[in-house]
Amino acid sequence: MDLDTDVPMEDVSDDHSETYQGGAKIDASKSKPSELTGDSVNQLDQWIEKLANCEPLSEQDVKRLCDMAVDVLQFEENVQPVQVPVTICGDVHGQFHDLMELFKIGGPCPDTNYLFMGDYVDRGYYSVETVSFLVCMKVRYPNRITILRGNHESRQITQVYGFYDECLRKYGSANVWKVFTDLFDYFPITALVDNKIFCLHGGLSPMIETIDQVRELNRIQEVPHEGPMCDLLWSDPDDRGGWGISPRGAGFTFGQDISEQFNHTNDLSLIARAHQLVMEGYSWSHQQSVVTIFSAPNYCYRCGNQAAIMEVDEMHNRQFLQYDPSIRPGEPTVTRKTPDYFL
Amino acid sequence: MSKSDNANKTVPDGGHKSPPKPPSFTRNLNSGVQVPASGINAIHIDSAREMVKIHTRNRLPQTPPNPRFSIPTARNVSVKVSNDAIASMSSSFPKPTTNISVPAREHTGKCTNPQCAHCGSVIIPAPKSSFPIQDKPSITINDWSIYTIKRPILSSQELDDLEERFRFPLPEMIFGNNSVKLVNDKTKSIIEFNALDALDSIDKSSDLKVSYHQEWLEARRTNSLSTDSHDASAEKALKENGNIDLTKYTDLETIKNYDWTYSTNYKGSITNMEFAKTDEKFPIDRLLNPDPILFFDESILYEDELGDNGISMLSTKIRVMPTCLLLLCRLFLRIDNVIFRIRDTRVFVDFETNKVLREYKEQDGVYNDVLGKISGKVTSDPKSLLRDPNWVSQNIPVLKSELEAAQLTS
Repeated sequence: MDLDTDVPMEDVSDDHSETYQGGAKIDASKSKPSELTGDSVNQLDQWIEKLANCEPLSEQDVKRLCDMAVDVLQFEENVQPVQVPVTICGDVHGQFHDLMELFKIGGPCPDTNYLFMGDYVDRGYYSVETVSFLVCMKVRYPNRITILRGNHESRQITQVYGFYDECLRKYGSANVWKVFTDLFDYFPITALVDNKIFCLHGGLSPMIETIDQVRELNRIQEVPHEGPMCDLLWSDPDDRGGWGISPRGAGFTFGQDISEQFNHTNDLSLIARAHQLVMEGYSWSHQQSVVTIFSAPNYCYRCGNQAAIMEVDEMHNRQFLQYDPSIRPGEPTVTRKTPDYFL
Repeated sequence: MSKSDNANKTVPDGGHKSPPKPPSFTRNLNSGVQVPASGINAIHIDSAREMVKIHTRNRLPQTPPNPRFSIPTARNVSVKVSNDAIASMSSSFPKPTTNISVPAREHTGKCTNPQCAHCGSVIIPAPKSSFPIQDKPSITINDWSIYTIKRPILSSQELDDLEERFRFPLPEMIFGNNSVKLVNDKTKSIIEFNALDALDSIDKSSDLKVSYHQEWLEARRTNSLSTDSHDASAEKALKENGNIDLTKYTDLETIKNYDWTYSTNYKGSITNMEFAKTDEKFPIDRLLNPDPILFFDESILYEDELGDNGISMLSTKIRVMPTCLLLLCRLFLRIDNVIFRIRDTRVFVDFETNKVLREYKEQDGVYNDVLGKISGKVTSDPKSLLRDPNWVSQNIPVLKSELEAAQLTS
């Protein structure tokens, strides 16, 4: 599809009394999203309040939300421009309460600008609430929060790693899963913070030498098994130089020479990516040309790792904030294993 | 896992613009010691709940015990509790006998783990990144002391320190400080299970590949099948990229081969114990008895998601009964659409005879064969069975099974 990059997006007014014409219908012939109506703003605020209590939306509301979200996301670019200051976050993986902790640590949205680098669903117990909340915030404050696509935002992966099952369990059918995975196709795949920090879920691709080449991809599709889009969502940095193949037989790894060349070619200071668990929540590689950020503390409720987010201020100073799992009153913080007569 | 450059400079809260932080645990950077900034220690919450339960239990109607495994309300079982907060509840247990003690007699450090008021088994908290809890429950029975340790995954520093020992990328979740250890106090014989020793005994390479390996490779070698080529702009991008010779990146010779499935044949780390092949049978009958479980724990030694192509997990489970114990160390591997693999090591200890039996079993199953066995059994989520190692172990063929015995004499 043609992406009109020249149309600047206007900030959504927070003034509830203002009313706009038109709802959130998808119209492929448009070149910019519909303005939110006062009704829509009220509706979104209600949903956000509900979701903030970890209550999922009704199936009907999810459909309405996703329709509104398509209207916003389809106009975003493959390389979505983001202004500083911004707080950059990694994998969340359905750990809803830890996402709330993230917003406490980093400051509430929309007062703080956020950039999430994908993997909102699967593994954790609250994928539905997590992705609903983030999409709600995206629609409500489109210029304040950017949500990129991770390799888990795909039909195939979610069927294996939990999101599909969770939708079945919470809604009794796969409809909500279908609506969300259709929406995932519209998520931008990379972001560029002030032309200096290239943000994406996985890593580089041997088919991509310049950021302009990312702009020319057709991203609105299921994450393919091959091609540059796949690599951007799947590849990992490695200690070895050059391009390598994972011993698994699929997936590229890239060395320090590759990262440095890419940063040089594109006049970047840093590649920020997520995709890999790190005990401290963040990890430098390739002499600080690449940083990995992971924002799911105590991943899968058993790793005991810290999570981190990276703040970038107007002067491009970077600061990492680390945090631990949220502690919820009234819920057990100790897992009790029931003794079982295993053989 | 990304290797850090050891340049992790963290300023947790300096000049931060966010509102005051909620109660949370913070890390003291200088000393590396983790201290709770506020809030209640999880153990206290649990102890408090335990106390309330003790007070209110008698008001509730008595539920009939599970017919198969009756709740072992302390017939011959006795447990001594070290934790003061829990001590009062031990009044519901008979007086301790000499041959069982919780924690173990040789236990060093504080044992903060509460015990189940029903069966006396030690309650194990999940690992928490910042709790100052030392998860070191233990128990002594006759000549045997049993210890389990559960800690978070290894830190970047700890991983860097291991680079010399392991010349291949380690699993992404490696609980290198977890262990389960059985010690005979008289003979000083030890059998222990831990992640690092398990990783020492994996193969140098693996022939297994992910299901879409060929597809992935071909697409990159021919450089023409990309699904991106649907519209003009993408075509253009591809043409521009066409001059990049991808084949040079996809030479399989360049793959650094190692067993990325982490299929260990680990049977435990042994000190002062000699095993010999035996024709005996593994005493399943005794393990089917509903003896009270005095001590139970399970933990993961390592886990890897195989780049979202399945799972490889090495885990341990132990249950200690009044006269024997069973320890299971299991490797569970699932490569989606390719294979299932299970490698079990079972250790059985008879506390009365000091005989140790060790069984090692290898199982492999083709993915689609296993998938075929669940058709029609479950409706909503058929693949859930594929995540259940117990179910899988009953549905894939056994390739190899061996039993060894060690008789300890002091």
